Amino acid sequence: MTQPPKPTPPERPARHGPPVEVAQEVFDVQGQETARLLARVVGTNALESGGRDEVPWVRVERERLPHVAERCRDDQSLRMDMLHLLLAVDYVEHLEVVYILLSTQTLRKAMLKARVPANDAQVPTATHLWEAAHWYEREVHDLFGVTFTGNPDLSPLLLYEGFEGHPGLKSFPFHDHDEF
Amino acid sequence: MTTTDQRQVDMMLNLGPQHPATHGVFRMLLTLDGERIVDMEPHIGYLHRGSEKLCENESYGQIVTLFDRMDYIANLNNELVFVRAVERLMGLEVPERAQFIRVLLCELNRVASHLLFLGTYGLDVGAMTPVMYTFRERERIQNIFESVTGARLMHNYIRIGGIKEDVPSDFTARVRAALEFVKRGVDETDRLLSFNEVFLLRTKGVGVIDAKTAVSCGLTGPNLRASGVPYDVRKDNPYEVYPYLTFKVPVGERGDCWDRYYMRVLECHESISMIEQCLDLLPDGPTMTQTRRIARPPKGEVYVHAENPRGDIGVFLVSDGSDKPYRLKVRPPSFCNLVALRPMLLNSYVADSIAILGSIDIVLGEVDR
Amino acid sequence: MSVTLLDIVWAAVGAVALVTAVSILGVSLVWLERKFLGRLQGRPGPNRVGPFGLLQPVADGIKLLWKEDVSPGPSAKVLFYVAPLLVFVPSFVVWLTIPFTRDLALRNLDTSVFFFVAFSTLSIVGVLLAGWSAASKYSVLGGFRAAAQLVSYEIPLIVIAITMVALAGSMSFVDIVEAQRTVPYIALVPLAAVLFFIAGLAEIGRTPFDIYLAESEVVGGPLVEYSGAHWAVFYLAEYGNTFLVGALTALLFLGGWSWPFGTLPAPAAVALFLTKSYFVTVLIFWVRGTYPRLRIDQMMSLGWKILIPLSFVTLVTVVVQRFYGWPSWTLTLMSLATLALAAWLQTRLQGAPARALAEKYRRDAVVVQAKPRLHREAPAAAKVEASS
Repeated sequence: MTQPPKPTPPERPARHGPPVEVAQEVFDVQGQETARLLARVVGTNALESGGRDEVPWVRVERERLPHVAERCRDDQSLRMDMLHLLLAVDYVEHLEVVYILLSTQTLRKAMLKARVPANDAQVPTATHLWEAAHWYEREVHDLFGVTFTGNPDLSPLLLYEGFEGHPGLKSFPFHDHDEF
Repeated sequence: MTTTDQRQVDMMLNLGPQHPATHGVFRMLLTLDGERIVDMEPHIGYLHRGSEKLCENESYGQIVTLFDRMDYIANLNNELVFVRAVERLMGLEVPERAQFIRVLLCELNRVASHLLFLGTYGLDVGAMTPVMYTFRERERIQNIFESVTGARLMHNYIRIGGIKEDVPSDFTARVRAALEFVKRGVDETDRLLSFNEVFLLRTKGVGVIDAKTAVSCGLTGPNLRASGVPYDVRKDNPYEVYPYLTFKVPVGERGDCWDRYYMRVLECHESISMIEQCLDLLPDGPTMTQTRRIARPPKGEVYVHAENPRGDIGVFLVSDGSDKPYRLKVRPPSFCNLVALRPMLLNSYVADSIAILGSIDIVLGEVDR
Repeated sequence: MSVTLLDIVWAAVGAVALVTAVSILGVSLVWLERKFLGRLQGRPGPNRVGPFGLLQPVADGIKLLWKEDVSPGPSAKVLFYVAPLLVFVPSFVVWLTIPFTRDLALRNLDTSVFFFVAFSTLSIVGVLLAGWSAASKYSVLGGFRAAAQLVSYEIPLIVIAITMVALAGSMSFVDIVEAQRTVPYIALVPLAAVLFFIAGLAEIGRTPFDIYLAESEVVGGPLVEYSGAHWAVFYLAEYGNTFLVGALTALLFLGGWSWPFGTLPAPAAVALFLTKSYFVTVLIFWVRGTYPRLRIDQMMSLGWKILIPLSFVTLVTVVVQRFYGWPSWTLTLMSLATLALAAWLQTRLQGAPARALAEKYRRDAVVVQAKPRLHREAPAAAKVEASS
């Protein structure tokens, strides 16, 4: 007996309503400075950059992500000593892994982003850089199925053992899912 | 742990999820050598409700209620950070009166949350009286919340662009009257517990975490400041009307349980002073900005963070221009603080595990979301 | 000496009377503790059942007896159900020799202090068995904690008892009380009284020594798996023991039923003795309302490094004073000096540094100065740029 094909996730319905506005990305004074420093630290690794207010962001290749993060951490002008947040966003055709770094000394914030193809969701781990990365990566692995290569323990953190699927993804069939 | 001595067998002790002192459904798998903890494995997720995913299916106005239910001890602080993220994305200017009331209520909520901590921390280390004093005073704050928001716990009061409605006419008098009692409650607890010999024995030098490890673990809030890192979002990245308030940020140096506890006692005093300043400065005017009923932030992404009683809460919001967020991610302070539990706990005693867990002051609704 | 039927009948009547009296005392303590703690904590305490909630313990007792008696599946059933008795019986047997006044004691032994010491140690076995037989890790932890704690604190308790025996020259409680007719022993050896009180607190497992019961750690320790009537038996034994420590302190240090202004008639003497005992018991409750709980290693080091040496110091000073026939005030002086030294050292070691540190934190807090409210910088603008 063959498995019935999984239903394709429904398309997001065409929107009706007012035209979509796009937020203007304007740096404040601190943001400009941080963006300048960040650009210098990231250097040629940067694929794309932007940001708003006090938080600049830089997109890098996913293999370079921990490396760039390490440079941000060790750089004397940035000193991003805290991994403030690690998250993933599901853009259906690809995932985006975002590090939000923060410095408790220079008080600067920055985001590092990396695109991850949905069918090969792998990113090098950052657990050797920050203790905090352990749980963040387990959570992202739970909810988005991103595998952090090199992470010693990617067992389920928020979900129960044996849970199938990754409920953070847009494709997760929420309404067909059985109650636990 | 393997030993050559066959008589010695380590005991696995399953502390939680049903345990009176784990502050919710937190589970620790302790490996014990007698009374000493040789290994510890934390387990969370018993309260995972998928709040972040739920947010993707709710309109912005409805999400405020979900934030109430994350850190259910400091609801208003949670509401504020989400609402600020949306406002930042929409470029909304909030009337000053609304901002003052928001900050005032958030500080009140911080005092309420810290009062709860002081009491329950006493319970954790075995003192049963402080909890009665602090809950009595916390109740007065809850009464104010009830008179302002209509609810004691899940307020849904801070709205995108302002607040739900103006405060009642006797608000100032009520807050001032309550503050007198709250001050008394904090002082009473302080006198009863802080310098109690047995309490000092139990908390001094227990669960020490140095500044470097603390930052690496992502510890924030009073827990981080107890380790000697003077990082406070209200100071370093002021939001709302915090720039107009004078306050002190208490900083510890040892990073042990007692310092974490005492930071909160001192913060209570600071918050009370901030509330009084807010009452003095409270301007007249509208409490809600002119905006569309259904918020549609422009397409883009924003990261906003704020100082919660438990630490640095952050909201990463991705909007696709519709009335529902495309992705919403919370940086839950308790979740990150809990990472630091293991380094604090190893090689301490079973009784310390409770004292240390209590001193981190987690809320499981926020850890698991 | 031949035993007649009448003797047996009288023994039975006495036993029933004793158990009833001690149970009533214990139950009264339940009410007293809840009411007193309630008052300490700014709440009314029990006030629904009966006048001033006086019948609350009765209601509790009825509830406990009606509850289902559950035992864990893998527990050693026989031991599990024998253990409460092993705790309960010694704690009541000890009352056999406790005199309520000069002539009111079930058995006025010449060696009643020895009898008390011998029987009070027995309950350790019961607590340990209760912890082990329930096959729960929490109760095993609690049971072993209890064994360590009770064995350690027996020693200062007994040494202090020996000290009082040396002071009075008799092992009978009646003689010890009679020796305090003019000056109660607390005035002679205050250090011994303090040590006895502390060791007594540890023996009955009350705050700050409720380490083996520790609700927030081992969730009730050896008692965690007990319910219903068996739990009630533990509960009663605990309160019986609490009152026992009160009564012993009253007998050994506060002059029992005597007071310095002559001999009292028997009912007044009993009332005086009970008042003194209740006073000490309320002190125990007061400590419970004030102090957190010690950790097991701290409790052990307190016992072995402080209480036991100090109790031997007391014994030696008393014996030396008796031997050389020095006046009594020298004893008071020596005892007070040791007590003051110990208390001063303790505050130097703990309280004073903490207060200094707290003051430092207050002083060194980072001050954030308010900016003048001139204008507010507008948040970053977002404008309509494109549509889709």
